[in-house]
Order: sequence, then C-alpha cells, then structure tokens
Amino acid sequence: MSNRFPLPDPDFAPTRAYFESAAAGKLSIPRCPDCMRWDWYPTGSCPACDRTPTAWIELGGDAELFSFSIVRRAFAAPFRDCVPFVAALVVPQEAPTVRIPTNIIDCDFDALVIGMPLRVVFRVLRFEGIEGQVVVPQFVSKASAIEHSQSASGP
Amino acid sequence: MAICGVGESEHTRASGRSAEAIGAEAVERALEDAGLAPEAVDGLMFSGGLGPQFNADAYRKHFGTKHEMWTSHEGGGMAWAATAPARAAEALRDGRATAIVNVFSVAWATERGQHKAGAHARFHLDEPYKANLEVPFGWFPQPVYFATIARRHMFEFGTRPEHLGAIAVSARRHANRHPGAVMREKPLDLDDYLAAPMLVDPLRVLDCCLISDGGGAYVMTSKERARDLRKPPVGVAGIGEALSPSGSHWSQQAAFTATPQVTSAPAAFAMAGIQPSDVDVLALYDPFSIVTLMQIEDMGFCEKGQGGDFVANGGLDFDGGKLPTNTHGGLLSHAYVLGISHVVEIVRQLRGEAASQVEGARIGVYGGYTGERASTLVLEAGV
Repeated sequence: MSNRFPLPDPDFAPTRAYFESAAAGKLSIPRCPDCMRWDWYPTGSCPACDRTPTAWIELGGDAELFSFSIVRRAFAAPFRDCVPFVAALVVPQEAPTVRIPTNIIDCDFDALVIGMPLRVVFRVLRFEGIEGQVVVPQFVSKASAIEHSQSASGP
Repeated sequence: MAICGVGESEHTRASGRSAEAIGAEAVERALEDAGLAPEAVDGLMFSGGLGPQFNADAYRKHFGTKHEMWTSHEGGGMAWAATAPARAAEALRDGRATAIVNVFSVAWATERGQHKAGAHARFHLDEPYKANLEVPFGWFPQPVYFATIARRHMFEFGTRPEHLGAIAVSARRHANRHPGAVMREKPLDLDDYLAAPMLVDPLRVLDCCLISDGGGAYVMTSKERARDLRKPPVGVAGIGEALSPSGSHWSQQAAFTATPQVTSAPAAFAMAGIQPSDVDVLALYDPFSIVTLMQIEDMGFCEKGQGGDFVANGGLDFDGGKLPTNTHGGLLSHAYVLGISHVVEIVRQLRGEAASQVEGARIGVYGGYTGERASTLVLEAGV
C-alpha cells in the first residue's frame, strides 16, 4: 500500500497513462489496435491474445451511469471529510464493455438515475492530511454540464 | 463420504482470543459430537489464505498427540466450506487419511479492536488495480461494491428495499431462536429495517454481515464408518464449483448482478441427482443481503430477477417459508464465520436437531461465494 493512500500511485505503470491523460484534460482508455478490444483494467496487452500491445485512445468524454452507491459513512480516515459522496461505475459512450469506477460530483443525489447521460470533468483529488494530489476523471450529469457551458459563454 | 461430527466455538464480539484458540474449541466440540478421540482424526483441512489457522502442529499441541496427519489448505470457510469434502474424499479414497476435520475460525472482532488490518482488508488496499482505479474514488470496500450491485439489481429487476429487508428479517428471526447467535437477543422487523439509516445507499448496516470472533468444524469419514459413530451420518451427495469468466474485480463482472452459482449449482445438483425443488433447507454465504438474493436466483430456486418476490413475506422462514434459508441466522445475524457454520447448520437440520428445525428435512444445500468463486454442497440425511 502506497504511503499516499488513498491517492493513485504514479509509479504503477499500467494506470500511469490514465492519470497523465487526465492531467492533460483527456479521458483515455487503452485498446488493441488489431481486434479493437478495450484493455480494461489496463494490462498493456490485448485481453484476447495477450500479445498485441494496446494503445491509449482518447475518448469524447460522454458516458452513461451504470450503477452507483451513496457512501454515507467513511470506511477509511481520509474519506471522513468526503461523505456523503457518490461512488459510481460509468460506461464511456465509445467503450460499452468498460466500466470506470469514479465519482458523480456536483449532483443532486435524488436526481441520479441509472442510464443517465454523463460528462467527464477533470478535478484535483486531494485528501486532508495526505501529501500530494492527482488530477482524476470524475463525472457530472450531462444536462448540468451543458447548463454550465451555456452560462459560462453567455452574455 | 459422510459428515459425522460438527462443532462450533462460542460466537462473540471481541473475545481477546486468537483464531487458533477459537479453532481448537470448535474442533474439540466436533470430535465430541462425532465420538472420536483426537488420535482417530488423521486429516486436517484449513484455510490457506486468511491468517493463522488451527493447523496440524496446533492440533497436536492442543490435544497432546504426536500422530502424523494428512493436511490440506484447500479447506476452511467461504467457497472452500463446500469444496473441502471433494478434496477429503480423494484423501480417503487414496488411503491418506481415514477421518478428516475441516476447520475455520476468525478473531476479526478482536483484531479490529486492536486496529490491525487483517489479510482480508489489506487485499483490497494492496491489489494495485484496486488501489489505483477504485480506492481513490472511494469505490471500496465490500459494502460499496455490493451497494452498487444492489442498485443495479433494483434497476434491472424492480427489486425493492423491502425485499432486501425480508432477507435481513428472516435471518434475524432465526438468530433470535439460535442459542449460539451473536444477535440472539436483538429482534428485528421490517419496519425497524426500513427506519434504519443507510450505510452505503441502498444498503443499511442491517444488510451487512456482522464482525465477530468464532469458528466451526466438521468431521468427514466414509459412510460405512460414519454409520457406527455417535450421531446419524449426513451424506455428501453433490459438490459444484465455478469461477467467474470476468476475473476477480467486482466492477468488471460481465454478469454484474449474478454470481458464478449459475454454473456451480447445476453441476452439484446433477451430481446429486436432484432438482432445485427437491431442496428442503438452504444455507447461503451472505456477506450482504443482496448476495443471498442473487444466489437464490442463480441456483435456480426462482427465475432470474424474481428473487425479491421469492424472499418477501417470510419466504425464507424455517416454518412455512417457500425455502427455509439460513435457519441459524447466517453471516447477517448468527456470526461472521464465513460459511463454516452454514454447513454445521445444514448437518444439524438433516439430523433433526436444529434450533429452528425444518420438519422432515432430507436434502440440504450450502451455497458458498467468494467474489469470483462460487461453490455448492448438497448434503442428504440418512445414508
């Protein structure tokens, strides 16, 4: 266990590109260039043949809510300031076999519905008392994302 | 092969005892139940991956013997509480042992009080994919996985909180009648359940297993020998085991709202020559209420998605339920000993000596589940 728990470990090679992409404002998932199977969780090689190296593909950022839970009690000390929060699995539009564990943020819990359209956002993840921070993909409801962009570009 | 003796330790909140000491107590009681002397047991099965267990050295030291023992770490609780008899049958057949004990015990309530992260907790934090892709988002530990599964089950099949509550209420009712149950003195009805706060919405604390100290053991030998021992023998009629084709991460299970029981149970039932409708009493590994629900569906006791209606209105009760299930209270209300007491309870049911006896029970089944792995044990009375 990294002493930066619960932050991701930048030295764990298979997921490094996921977080580097997020820092650059991109949602990327690896895929086999031959058979086009998604390599998730990332292993670096094709999940079918286990030989062909996979390549990270930038996705558009739209996704669908697969399922979620509302965590009301922290299971580890660093999450004490986070509860209640939404721990979710989301499916990117282009990659129906991929489920990304993430958070749905800036949302009304009662408005969450499985299947609802989501939009990726990139936020800095940090925890009270834990050194360091990592940019991660999280998701908002697509309706609220459109609302925000309209108000941001409005008169 | 037959099960000829069962025993359990005391089931308690933090006891200050070690898992080995608790295991010794369970084995002692199982030998007493079987009417076997310590030297008569020449085989010992225990868990290979869940901390210190009552192994052969501990056995010899505890009972003051020096005899050789065949040992296997493919025993213990969870899925292995169902599959240990398959390994034991091979050892009996090959003449490596004549009487074999499978034991499992934990001291997790004590360890939690001492703030020790046990092997079970560290697994989730040390596994690098979990640590990097799940833990940073708070998508851990088990209550979060199973709340997410329960929500999806509700979406796909219309399962309601009342259905999960019915499972918790039946388990508690059985525990209230069971002398060894941790929750013996605490009644629970559906109104209490629905009024309880959410832990990880849609799961309440009442949907989650206890944490307790305790252990259990059962003794296996040939049917011929079992017939001459103290208690009525219970025969091993079928065993199944299956692994998920989607690996070990809950988040990536292709069949997100199902368990590998879809493969394991039919194999065990075929081996035993039975149909799901032949089963009189069931014990299901139940770390969360939703796991009971999924296994009932996946083992073929009802159509997939109909588990909610099946368990509602006392469907799992020992007296008048559609299929009496976890008649000792299960992991939810009896004790968190990871399935070993489930097998002990099925044996007692088939002998006619259970606290909440199912009248005329002849066929009993244990369904084990450990994430990517499921297993099924079919036992029959009067062999």
